[in-house]
Amino acid sequence: MFARDKLWIVIAAALVLGVSGFLIWQEANPGYLGYQREFRRLVEERLGPERAAAVPTGLQQIWLPEADRVDRCTSCHLGVTWQGLDGVEAPYGGHPAGPLEHHPVERFGCTLCHGGQGEATRLPDAHGWVAHWDDPLLDRRLAEDYRLADRWAFLEIKCNACHRYDREIPGAPRMNLARRLVDEKGCRACHRINGRGGSIGPDLERLGEKNPEGYDYGRLTTLQSLLSWQIGHLQSPKTFSPDTVMPEFGFTRDQALSLGLMLRSWTDVSIPIELRPGVVLADVPTAEELERERIMREGEGRFFVEKTCFICHDVSSFGIQSATKIGPDLAVAVDDVPRRFGRTLESFLMEPSGTMQVVLSKQIQLTEQERREAIRLLGIAYQKHLEALEAPDEGASPQ
Amino acid sequence: MAETRGAPAVKRPETRSLWRRLTWSWTPKGERQAGDAVVRNFLLHWFPHKVSKASLASSYTLWLGTISALLLAILTFTGLVLMFLYVPSVERAYGSIKDLEYAVSFGAFLRASHRVAAHLMVAMVFFHMVRVFLTGAFKNGFGASQSRPVNWWIGLAMLLATLFLSFTGYLLPWDQLAFWAVTVGTNIAKAVPLVGEQIRFFLLGGNEIHQSTLIRFYVLHCVLLPGFLGGLFVWHMWRIRKDGGLAAHDRLARELETVDTPPAKAKTYSLLGITSGRTVAVETSAADVGRHQVESVPGLVARVLLVTLLTFAVISVLAIWVGAPLEEAANPQVTPNPAKAPWYFLWLQELVTVTTVRVGGFTLNGALVGGVLVPGLLLLWAAAAPWLDRSGAVAAGVWFHRERRLANTLFLVVCAVLVVLTLIGTFMRGPYWALFWPWEAWPQHPGWF
Repeated sequence: MFARDKLWIVIAAALVLGVSGFLIWQEANPGYLGYQREFRRLVEERLGPERAAAVPTGLQQIWLPEADRVDRCTSCHLGVTWQGLDGVEAPYGGHPAGPLEHHPVERFGCTLCHGGQGEATRLPDAHGWVAHWDDPLLDRRLAEDYRLADRWAFLEIKCNACHRYDREIPGAPRMNLARRLVDEKGCRACHRINGRGGSIGPDLERLGEKNPEGYDYGRLTTLQSLLSWQIGHLQSPKTFSPDTVMPEFGFTRDQALSLGLMLRSWTDVSIPIELRPGVVLADVPTAEELERERIMREGEGRFFVEKTCFICHDVSSFGIQSATKIGPDLAVAVDDVPRRFGRTLESFLMEPSGTMQVVLSKQIQLTEQERREAIRLLGIAYQKHLEALEAPDEGASPQ
Repeated sequence: MAETRGAPAVKRPETRSLWRRLTWSWTPKGERQAGDAVVRNFLLHWFPHKVSKASLASSYTLWLGTISALLLAILTFTGLVLMFLYVPSVERAYGSIKDLEYAVSFGAFLRASHRVAAHLMVAMVFFHMVRVFLTGAFKNGFGASQSRPVNWWIGLAMLLATLFLSFTGYLLPWDQLAFWAVTVGTNIAKAVPLVGEQIRFFLLGGNEIHQSTLIRFYVLHCVLLPGFLGGLFVWHMWRIRKDGGLAAHDRLARELETVDTPPAKAKTYSLLGITSGRTVAVETSAADVGRHQVESVPGLVARVLLVTLLTFAVISVLAIWVGAPLEEAANPQVTPNPAKAPWYFLWLQELVTVTTVRVGGFTLNGALVGGVLVPGLLLLWAAAAPWLDRSGAVAAGVWFHRERRLANTLFLVVCAVLVVLTLIGTFMRGPYWALFWPWEAWPQHPGWF
């Protein structure tokens, strides 16, 4: 009995030894060592053996304790801070000097700008295109998927994560375009953006953290992704969200893409203050913007803001400005309505026809008293409009 | 062993074969040495001097108890090492696991073997209980003052401790899998009548799963439960010795012709120092045992070594091959779809599903019925098994004895149901808790890009 046991013990021990040997071999040969050897050879070839001796071996990492991050990318991407390696293919090549001037690698790491899974030391885990990692490397494949010539376009998402409240970001043209669009199109009329705005639409403060589950991707033909959905939704809200009151803004695909990238960037990224010395920390409106908003909120025409008429209509003599200008200026409604509909303003508002019939029965509910109030105010608005016409140099009413 | 080898003289090293030289071992010369090897050795003193071959046979015990104990030892060792590297804080836990996976030497293997051993231990402990039941080893046999039922209850307590150890450990990575599995488990605990809310509050250290829960589970997992389980294990082993060895040994003692010997004085001690009677081992010391027993050193020790090595090998291979999962960092705002309990509680989750019945406007509380009452009843039934048992002592220590046919069939049916429920929960429950065939792909939703 014991003799047979001995044989089995030897077999089992051999198994354990074999497995242990495999483990030790695996541990001694991590993937990045191969890259380091190749890099050393490359440096020796191009820059000489002295420089080659300075190539490090072993696990490399940039540890940012305040940001709670550790980036081990430099274990393979050794050439990031080296000069004289232009034209060398990744991962051995250098890094454009421009962005590194204000964002040195030792202080910022890599993943803050590029995405990816910094802690990982194995491909593909490190590049983050794996299950259960939702901050993948913003690389060429994304640009190809979204048919962009500029392979670094997606990096602007990361720029905006920190520079969210800056009026303009040098070197991030898409983010700057998106900012201009937000101002021009008046998104804040309905949405809370960077702390200010209306509440008709959802608060966009952390839209980039939205869970892709629960969206209807049926309308997307080619690329199925939440970013695609956002781009499509910006271009044609009703197609993707049939019950929406969001108007069609006529965005080009490029504009919609830039806006979509900015939406993705709106996440709660806790970047410590030490890493953002010159960055603006809050969206502070100009005095002009504040005054404009105050007039709309508290001025004579506040009725038209409260009742959301201003989504489609200007009321110029009250200083009410519409984001979309879908309908005509109500300041001249007293005169305009009879011309368009052949009825008085009062008759029209009490029993509307056409678009307004739909709007006032579904989207905006007004009691009879409120309609009378609207008529009264529109009369005053018209008076002010006429006064302004008669005395244009005085510029009494804000435009 | 010494007897069958003939002359006690050992061959000189140079004359022995290569095989012999590679596989030499120390073998005691004579019974006295064999006895001393056990009695005078701290590590081996819990073994008896001699062990019946019936007890050693893998076809009897399948070595499940030993494997469970070995897994506990592996878990303790790997767990201790992990304690140097893991940080039980909600901000740092996930990051420390990532560091283990990628930066710590052998970290991924350490973690994977800990996890594989944990899951295997839950399975082995369960199978061990099944084996003990099916062989009637929870019954007293022919020895005097045996109380195997006590050992059965100790075993049940160890099963619960193992399950709770696994559950507390499950939370520690603080990823989506961990967070929501514990959410499911503690929500079922809420359904306990009268004290459910308080139990959940006590488990979580609050109303939400947060830092209080993590540190609480960590202390339970690393200190209290292992200590408790270790204590129970020691008592479990002690009881085996007191009961005269494994149940299979009893039948051997019965079957052999015994020689009448005057009762020898024997000192025996119980847990509290009060005892009575003699052990079976003393009674059978004069029996014709040479053919049926081996000395613990080297017989039992060799077997334990073999099982140890095989367990190591299996754990290592599985750890390398399967690895340990890690999902996204825990996010209380995002519930995974589906959110599942750990696999050893999936039968419970399925029971909850199955017993949540809507009749008109009335909904039966599945968490209470399926999550608390049914498992509670199962546990009570298991604990009552020694009393419910109607078979004679002859049925102890035999696989599928005919006197216990009904009990064994019933038990196997219940086990089959639990296994089937677990399989359904693992392979057939998909998003929105809908049923899918195992080969059917689950609907995937796109990501951000």
